Amino acid sequence: MSSRPRRRFGARSRETGTALLFLLPLFVLVVGLIFYPFYRAVWLSLTDKLVGYPERFVGLRNYIYVANDDAFHQVVWNSLVFTVVSVALKVVTGLAMALVLSGVIRGRNFFRGLFLLPWITSTVIIALTWRWMFDAFPGRGFLNSFLLDLGLLSQPIAFMATPAGAMAAVIIANWWRAFPFFGVSFLAGMASIPRELYEAASVDGAGANRRFWHITLPGLKHVMIVTTLLSFILTINDFNIIYVMTRGGPGSATQVFSTYAYQVAFGQLRWGRGVTISIFVVPLLVIGIILISRYLLRDRR
Amino acid sequence: MTRALTWIGLALFLLLILVPFWWIASMSFKTYEQIQFATSIYVPRPFTWENYTGLWTETRFPLWLRNSVVTALVVTLITTVVASLGGYAVARLRFPGREGVASLILILYLIPPALLFIPLYRVLAELGATNHLAALFLSYPTFTVPFCTWLLIGFFKALPEELEEAALIDGAGRVTAFARVLLPLAAPGLVASAIFAFTLSWNEFLYALVFIQDETRITVPVGLNLLIYGDVFHWGQLMAASVITTIPVVALYVFIHRWMTEGLVAGSVKG
Repeated sequence: MSSRPRRRFGARSRETGTALLFLLPLFVLVVGLIFYPFYRAVWLSLTDKLVGYPERFVGLRNYIYVANDDAFHQVVWNSLVFTVVSVALKVVTGLAMALVLSGVIRGRNFFRGLFLLPWITSTVIIALTWRWMFDAFPGRGFLNSFLLDLGLLSQPIAFMATPAGAMAAVIIANWWRAFPFFGVSFLAGMASIPRELYEAASVDGAGANRRFWHITLPGLKHVMIVTTLLSFILTINDFNIIYVMTRGGPGSATQVFSTYAYQVAFGQLRWGRGVTISIFVVPLLVIGIILISRYLLRDRR
Repeated sequence: MTRALTWIGLALFLLLILVPFWWIASMSFKTYEQIQFATSIYVPRPFTWENYTGLWTETRFPLWLRNSVVTALVVTLITTVVASLGGYAVARLRFPGREGVASLILILYLIPPALLFIPLYRVLAELGATNHLAALFLSYPTFTVPFCTWLLIGFFKALPEELEEAALIDGAGRVTAFARVLLPLAAPGLVASAIFAFTLSWNEFLYALVFIQDETRITVPVGLNLLIYGDVFHWGQLMAASVITTIPVVALYVFIHRWMTEGLVAGSVKG
């Protein structure tokens, strides 16, 4: 009887040993390829590193420069427009998609799977696809061909040649890729709303409209917050769609954080400044991550 | 009334999803002249395979495809090993700081690759890995491992604990119990996690663009981007390349789609 606690203690520490062993590859990866590069990023942002020259410590000069840079102000504005409009469209379209799918009884899984296709396709291919959808030449550009055919246009339009047109095009591509994810998440959220709520509301005489606003929407609150935050983090850091469709142009009309950091670091070879641009997103990211982990970790327990 | 609305909505969503895919696929079967002079716009007539054969013989696409396949397979292997060990430890072993490790994995999963590409380039350059597929073998696990570990934690937690306890009572150590009892049971989860790792690597663009310059060593997404910005204006070949690149992912996805649609969203639905 007295040997029992000791044995349990032995098993415990052995278990800690096994856990360390099992987690070792993960720790090596995380420390070597995430933490260490992050530390290097912070250090680089405090230097005037130019490719081919040794780095010199310059304190906060990069931060001050970037904060006062007009081009960067435009980048912040573009990133916010791109992200907010795109995420808002995803929420609305996702909701519509979930409502439609919840009305489909036979073949719902089939359509749900089919609608998710954009979400699993490479973003580079999505970007190329929408580049061709909006292309100025009728043979390559679907919209021009289609509108000319309908007689709604007499001349092809170069949709992506104007700043507003280019921004709209990259927003549409980003939205089209991700709204199915919202739709599927919302559909799953709807399935978890107790049926009795709807039945009780019907008995009380609530119409479809009121049931939607008073039961469905509040019931989806949790899923909506999590998907919106997740999408916000992904969208504000989007690189692929913008780089492939517009390279940040025309001018710098669609330049966002990641494409601008890329341009400064690998186009102008100013690594210190490029890294500083990336680091400016970190506060937003931290807020997003804290909020989202609070929701997701609560679920896990 | 609502039935009609449902069908109209379904039709609109079908068009919205399928028209862009179909536009690319149809262009891949058109000749250069059909595209250039906007003839037979909606359906390729005549229908030609010349873009596919041209892509295979005139461009470096086969090489890029090979690079993509090698990268995705190596990354999937590394990810599956690291994530299954880590996922098991967090889900099943009791050790101090377990909750902390779980939160850390979630946070790492949320860090976007766009944040780290510049310093990672320097670190990889110091290791002599840049301009080599090795750069991708090393950097892709930074996003596949947190994601797959997070998935597998949930998966291991859902397996019945009694089976493992039975093995432990029979005198097996934790490692044996993991290898002999849990891993086989977790096979569906491991397959799903492997498919996610494969897809994420297959589709990745930013790291591949930044870390590799040699045109014989790039992967398909970077190669596609070269085809447009190069001097070659073979629209049809570019479309054919897009179709070929999408097919493996769709095939894998058909395989796990049921699990995926439920698994992907489970985290955001509970509670």
